Amino acid sequence: MSIEEGAKFVAAAYAIILAVVIAYYAMSARRVSGLQRDVDLLKQEVERREAAGSGD
Amino acid sequence: MVKKLTSAPALFAAAGAFLVTGLLLAFLYAPIDVSSMGFSQKIFYYHAPIAETALVAFGIAFVAAILYLRDPDPKWDRLGYVSVRLGLLFSLLVMATGMIWGKAAWDAWWAWEPRLTTFLIVCFLYAAYFVLRQVVEEESRRATFAAVFAIVAFIDVPITFFATRYMPEGLHPVVITAGDTGMEGSMFLSFMISMAGMTLLLAALVRSEVAAERLKDEIDDLKIRIGG
Repeated sequence: MSIEEGAKFVAAAYAIILAVVIAYYAMSARRVSGLQRDVDLLKQEVERREAAGSGD
Repeated sequence: MVKKLTSAPALFAAAGAFLVTGLLLAFLYAPIDVSSMGFSQKIFYYHAPIAETALVAFGIAFVAAILYLRDPDPKWDRLGYVSVRLGLLFSLLVMATGMIWGKAAWDAWWAWEPRLTTFLIVCFLYAAYFVLRQVVEEESRRATFAAVFAIVAFIDVPITFFATRYMPEGLHPVVITAGDTGMEGSMFLSFMISMAGMTLLLAALVRSEVAAERLKDEIDDLKIRIGG
Protein backbone atom coordinates (compact mmCIF):
# COMPACT_ATOMS: atom_id res chain seq x y z
CA MET A 1 0.00 0.00 0.00
CA SER A 2 1.37 3.42 -0.94
CA ILE A 3 1.84 6.21 1.62
CA GLU A 4 -0.97 8.20 -0.04
CA GLU A 5 -3.40 5.28 0.26
CA GLY A 6 -2.35 4.55 3.85
CA ALA A 7 -2.62 8.23 4.78
CA LYS A 8 -6.36 8.20 3.99
CA PHE A 9 -6.97 5.41 6.50
CA VAL A 10 -4.72 7.04 9.11
CA ALA A 11 -6.40 10.43 8.69
CA ALA A 12 -9.86 8.86 8.99
CA ALA A 13 -8.92 6.97 12.17
CA TYR A 14 -7.35 9.97 13.91
CA ALA A 15 -10.18 12.29 12.80
CA ILE A 16 -12.74 9.97 14.41
CA ILE A 17 -10.73 9.73 17.63
CA LEU A 18 -10.15 13.47 17.93
CA ALA A 19 -13.75 14.35 17.01
CA VAL A 20 -15.23 11.92 19.55
CA VAL A 21 -12.82 12.83 22.37
CA ILE A 22 -13.20 16.59 21.86
CA ALA A 23 -17.01 16.35 21.52
CA TYR A 24 -17.28 14.19 24.64
CA TYR A 25 -14.99 16.51 26.61
CA ALA A 26 -17.00 19.58 25.54
CA MET A 27 -20.32 17.94 26.41
CA SER A 28 -18.98 16.71 29.73
CA ALA A 29 -17.57 20.13 30.68
CA ARG A 30 -20.84 21.82 29.71
CA ARG A 31 -22.85 19.30 31.73
CA VAL A 32 -20.66 19.77 34.83
CA SER A 33 -20.94 23.56 34.66
CA GLY A 34 -24.72 23.31 34.17
CA LEU A 35 -25.06 20.98 37.15
CA GLN A 36 -22.84 23.23 39.27
CA ARG A 37 -25.05 26.20 38.39
CA ASP A 38 -28.18 24.24 39.36
CA VAL A 39 -26.60 23.23 42.68
CA ASP A 40 -25.70 26.85 43.43
CA LEU A 41 -29.23 28.06 42.60
CA LEU A 42 -30.84 25.33 44.71
CA LYS A 43 -28.50 26.07 47.63
CA GLN A 44 -29.47 29.75 47.46
CA GLU A 45 -33.13 28.76 47.43
CA VAL A 46 -32.66 26.48 50.46
CA GLU A 47 -30.84 29.28 52.32
CA ARG A 48 -33.56 31.79 51.38
CA ARG A 49 -36.30 29.47 52.64
CA GLU A 50 -34.41 28.67 55.83
CA ALA A 51 -33.84 32.38 56.48
CA ALA A 52 -37.53 33.10 55.80
CA GLY A 53 -38.50 30.21 58.12
CA SER A 54 -36.33 31.43 61.00
CA GLY A 55 -37.63 34.99 60.55
CA ASP A 56 -41.26 33.91 61.16
CA MET B 1 -0.29 19.73 46.14
CA VAL B 2 -1.16 16.10 45.33
CA LYS B 3 -4.83 17.08 45.19
CA LYS B 4 -4.03 19.82 42.65
CA LEU B 5 -1.98 17.45 40.49
CA THR B 6 -4.76 14.87 40.44
CA SER B 7 -7.59 17.36 39.83
CA ALA B 8 -9.52 16.92 36.58
CA PRO B 9 -8.08 20.04 34.85
CA ALA B 10 -4.50 19.00 35.72
CA LEU B 11 -5.14 15.47 34.47
CA PHE B 12 -6.73 16.79 31.26
CA ALA B 13 -3.72 19.06 30.68
CA ALA B 14 -1.27 16.20 31.29
CA ALA B 15 -3.28 13.86 29.05
CA GLY B 16 -3.31 16.46 26.27
CA ALA B 17 0.45 17.00 26.56
CA PHE B 18 1.20 13.27 26.44
CA LEU B 19 -1.24 12.58 23.59
CA VAL B 20 0.09 15.40 21.43
CA THR B 21 3.70 14.33 22.15
CA GLY B 22 2.85 10.70 21.37
CA LEU B 23 1.20 11.72 18.11
CA LEU B 24 4.15 13.91 17.07
CA LEU B 25 6.62 11.13 17.88
CA ALA B 26 4.50 8.57 16.03
CA PHE B 27 4.53 10.66 12.85
CA LEU B 28 7.89 12.45 13.03
CA TYR B 29 10.17 10.11 15.01
CA ALA B 30 8.93 6.54 14.61
CA PRO B 31 9.73 5.07 11.17
CA ILE B 32 7.15 3.85 8.69
CA ASP B 33 6.52 0.15 9.15
CA VAL B 34 8.09 -1.58 6.16
CA SER B 35 7.28 -5.15 7.17
CA SER B 36 3.60 -5.34 6.31
CA MET B 37 1.22 -2.42 6.72
CA GLY B 38 3.25 0.56 5.62
CA PHE B 39 1.98 4.01 6.60
CA SER B 40 -1.42 2.75 7.82
CA GLN B 41 0.40 1.11 10.76
CA LYS B 42 0.39 4.62 12.32
CA ILE B 43 -3.21 3.92 13.44
CA PHE B 44 -1.69 1.57 16.02
CA TYR B 45 -0.28 4.42 18.19
CA TYR B 46 -3.75 5.46 19.35
CA HIS B 47 -5.79 2.34 18.52
CA ALA B 48 -3.94 0.01 20.90
CA PRO B 49 -3.80 2.50 23.84
CA ILE B 50 -7.54 3.17 23.45
CA ALA B 51 -8.20 -0.58 23.52
CA GLU B 52 -6.09 -1.06 26.65
CA THR B 53 -7.77 1.93 28.29
CA ALA B 54 -11.23 0.55 27.55
CA LEU B 55 -10.28 -2.69 29.27
CA VAL B 56 -8.82 -0.73 32.22
CA ALA B 57 -12.12 1.18 32.53
CA PHE B 58 -14.02 -2.11 32.70
CA GLY B 59 -11.48 -3.30 35.28
CA ILE B 60 -12.22 -0.22 37.40
CA ALA B 61 -15.95 -0.97 37.10
CA PHE B 62 -15.25 -4.55 38.20
CA VAL B 63 -13.33 -3.40 41.30
CA ALA B 64 -15.96 -0.74 42.08
CA ALA B 65 -18.67 -3.41 41.83
CA ILE B 66 -16.88 -5.65 44.33
CA LEU B 67 -16.36 -2.69 46.67
CA TYR B 68 -20.05 -1.76 46.38
CA LEU B 69 -21.19 -5.28 47.24
CA ARG B 70 -18.89 -5.25 50.30
CA ASP B 71 -19.87 -1.72 51.36
CA PRO B 72 -22.99 -0.33 49.63
CA ASP B 73 -21.75 3.25 49.45
CA PRO B 74 -23.21 5.18 46.45
CA LYS B 75 -19.72 6.43 45.58
CA TRP B 76 -18.75 2.93 44.37
CA ASP B 77 -21.90 2.75 42.25
CA ARG B 78 -21.11 6.16 40.75
CA LEU B 79 -17.53 5.05 39.99
CA GLY B 80 -18.74 1.80 38.40
CA TYR B 81 -21.40 3.54 36.30
CA VAL B 82 -18.98 6.18 35.05
CA SER B 83 -16.27 3.61 34.32
CA VAL B 84 -18.61 1.44 32.26
CA ARG B 85 -19.82 4.48 30.31
CA LEU B 86 -16.25 5.55 29.53
CA GLY B 87 -15.19 1.97 28.82
CA LEU B 88 -17.99 1.69 26.31
CA LEU B 89 -17.05 5.02 24.71
CA PHE B 90 -13.44 3.86 24.33
CA SER B 91 -14.65 0.48 23.04
CA LEU B 92 -16.68 2.14 20.31
CA LEU B 93 -13.58 4.12 19.32
CA VAL B 94 -11.58 0.88 19.23
CA MET B 95 -14.20 -0.74 17.02
CA ALA B 96 -14.26 2.25 14.64
CA THR B 97 -10.48 2.58 14.35
CA GLY B 98 -10.13 -1.21 14.24
CA MET B 99 -12.48 -1.42 11.28
CA ILE B 100 -10.39 1.20 9.46
CA TRP B 101 -7.27 -0.77 10.36
CA GLY B 102 -8.94 -3.97 9.08
CA LYS B 103 -9.82 -2.36 5.79
CA ALA B 104 -6.22 -1.19 5.36
CA ALA B 105 -4.60 -4.46 6.49
CA TRP B 106 -7.01 -7.19 5.36
CA ASP B 107 -9.13 -5.29 2.83
CA ALA B 108 -12.20 -6.06 4.95
CA TRP B 109 -14.07 -3.83 7.41
CA TRP B 110 -14.89 -6.77 9.64
CA ALA B 111 -13.78 -10.37 10.20
CA TRP B 112 -15.32 -12.91 12.57
CA GLU B 113 -12.03 -13.71 14.24
CA PRO B 114 -11.41 -14.24 18.00
CA ARG B 115 -10.26 -10.75 19.08
CA LEU B 116 -12.88 -8.82 17.12
CA THR B 117 -15.71 -11.15 18.03
CA THR B 118 -14.92 -11.21 21.76
CA PHE B 119 -14.53 -7.41 21.76
CA LEU B 120 -17.92 -7.05 20.08
CA ILE B 121 -19.41 -9.25 22.81
CA VAL B 122 -17.79 -6.95 25.41
CA CYS B 123 -19.54 -3.98 23.76
CA PHE B 124 -22.92 -5.73 23.77
CA LEU B 125 -22.50 -6.86 27.39
CA TYR B 126 -21.70 -3.39 28.65
CA ALA B 127 -24.45 -1.85 26.52
CA ALA B 128 -26.82 -4.25 28.32
CA TYR B 129 -25.51 -2.82 31.62
CA PHE B 130 -27.26 0.47 30.78
CA VAL B 131 -30.47 -1.31 29.83
CA LEU B 132 -30.38 -3.02 33.23
CA ARG B 133 -29.92 0.31 35.01
CA GLN B 134 -32.87 1.76 33.12
CA VAL B 135 -35.31 -0.99 34.06
CA VAL B 136 -34.63 -1.07 37.83
CA GLU B 137 -36.10 2.00 39.51
CA GLU B 138 -35.22 1.61 43.17
CA GLU B 139 -31.74 3.07 43.67
CA SER B 140 -30.08 0.52 45.95
CA ARG B 141 -31.50 -2.46 44.03
CA ARG B 142 -30.36 -0.88 40.76
CA ALA B 143 -26.85 -0.39 42.15
CA THR B 144 -26.70 -3.98 43.46
CA PHE B 145 -27.92 -5.51 40.18
CA ALA B 146 -25.54 -3.27 38.22
CA ALA B 147 -22.62 -4.33 40.43
CA VAL B 148 -23.39 -8.03 39.97
CA PHE B 149 -23.76 -7.51 36.22
CA ALA B 150 -20.45 -5.60 36.03
CA ILE B 151 -18.68 -8.51 37.74
CA VAL B 152 -20.24 -11.10 35.39
CA ALA B 153 -19.59 -8.99 32.27
CA PHE B 154 -15.94 -8.59 33.22
CA ILE B 155 -15.41 -12.32 32.57
CA ASP B 156 -15.21 -11.49 28.85
CA VAL B 157 -12.46 -8.87 29.32
CA PRO B 158 -9.53 -11.26 29.96
CA ILE B 159 -10.95 -13.57 27.27
CA THR B 160 -10.72 -10.65 24.81
CA PHE B 161 -7.23 -9.73 25.97
CA PHE B 162 -5.85 -13.26 25.67
CA ALA B 163 -7.85 -14.23 22.56
CA THR B 164 -5.03 -13.37 20.18
CA ARG B 165 -2.43 -15.05 22.36
CA TYR B 166 -4.22 -18.37 22.79
CA MET B 167 -5.91 -18.44 19.39
CA PRO B 168 -3.05 -17.31 17.11
CA GLU B 169 -4.89 -18.46 13.97
CA GLY B 170 -6.90 -15.20 14.13
CA LEU B 171 -6.16 -12.21 11.89
CA HIS B 172 -5.52 -9.70 14.68
CA PRO B 173 -1.77 -9.27 15.25
CA VAL B 174 -0.09 -9.79 18.63
CA VAL B 175 2.49 -7.02 18.86
CA ILE B 176 3.66 -7.00 22.47
CA THR B 177 4.41 -10.29 24.16
CA ALA B 178 6.16 -11.13 27.43
CA GLY B 179 9.79 -10.07 27.10
CA ASP B 180 9.42 -8.65 23.59
CA THR B 181 8.00 -5.23 22.66
CA GLY B 182 7.60 -6.45 19.07
CA MET B 183 8.76 -3.12 17.64
CA GLU B 184 11.84 -0.97 17.48
CA GLY B 185 12.74 1.53 20.23
CA SER B 186 11.36 4.71 18.65
CA MET B 187 8.05 3.00 17.89
CA PHE B 188 7.81 1.65 21.42
CA LEU B 189 8.57 5.07 22.93
CA SER B 190 5.83 6.70 20.82
CA PHE B 191 3.42 3.94 21.77
CA MET B 192 4.18 4.17 25.52
CA ILE B 193 3.75 7.97 25.56
CA SER B 194 0.39 7.63 23.77
CA MET B 195 -0.50 4.89 26.25
CA ALA B 196 0.32 7.17 29.20
CA GLY B 197 -1.71 9.98 27.59
CA MET B 198 -4.74 7.77 27.04
CA THR B 199 -4.57 6.45 30.62
CA LEU B 200 -4.39 10.03 31.94
CA LEU B 201 -7.34 10.94 29.72
CA LEU B 202 -9.36 8.10 31.24
CA ALA B 203 -8.38 9.25 34.75
CA ALA B 204 -9.39 12.85 33.94
CA LEU B 205 -12.73 11.78 32.45
CA VAL B 206 -13.46 9.47 35.40
CA ARG B 207 -12.79 12.31 37.85
CA SER B 208 -14.89 14.78 35.91
CA GLU B 209 -17.80 12.36 35.36
CA VAL B 210 -17.83 11.17 38.98
CA ALA B 211 -17.98 14.83 40.05
CA ALA B 212 -20.95 15.32 37.67
CA GLU B 213 -22.76 12.29 39.11
CA ARG B 214 -22.12 13.61 42.63
CA LEU B 215 -23.62 16.96 41.63
CA LYS B 216 -26.69 15.17 40.26
CA ASP B 217 -27.19 13.41 43.59
CA GLU B 218 -26.72 16.74 45.40
CA ILE B 219 -29.40 18.31 43.19
CA ASP B 220 -31.81 15.49 44.08
CA ASP B 221 -31.12 16.00 47.81
CA LEU B 222 -31.58 19.78 47.55
CA LYS B 223 -34.84 19.33 45.63
CA ILE B 224 -36.11 17.07 48.41
CA ARG B 225 -35.11 19.71 51.00
CA ILE B 226 -37.10 22.43 49.24
CA GLY B 227 -39.93 20.04 48.51
CA GLY B 228 -39.52 20.23 44.72
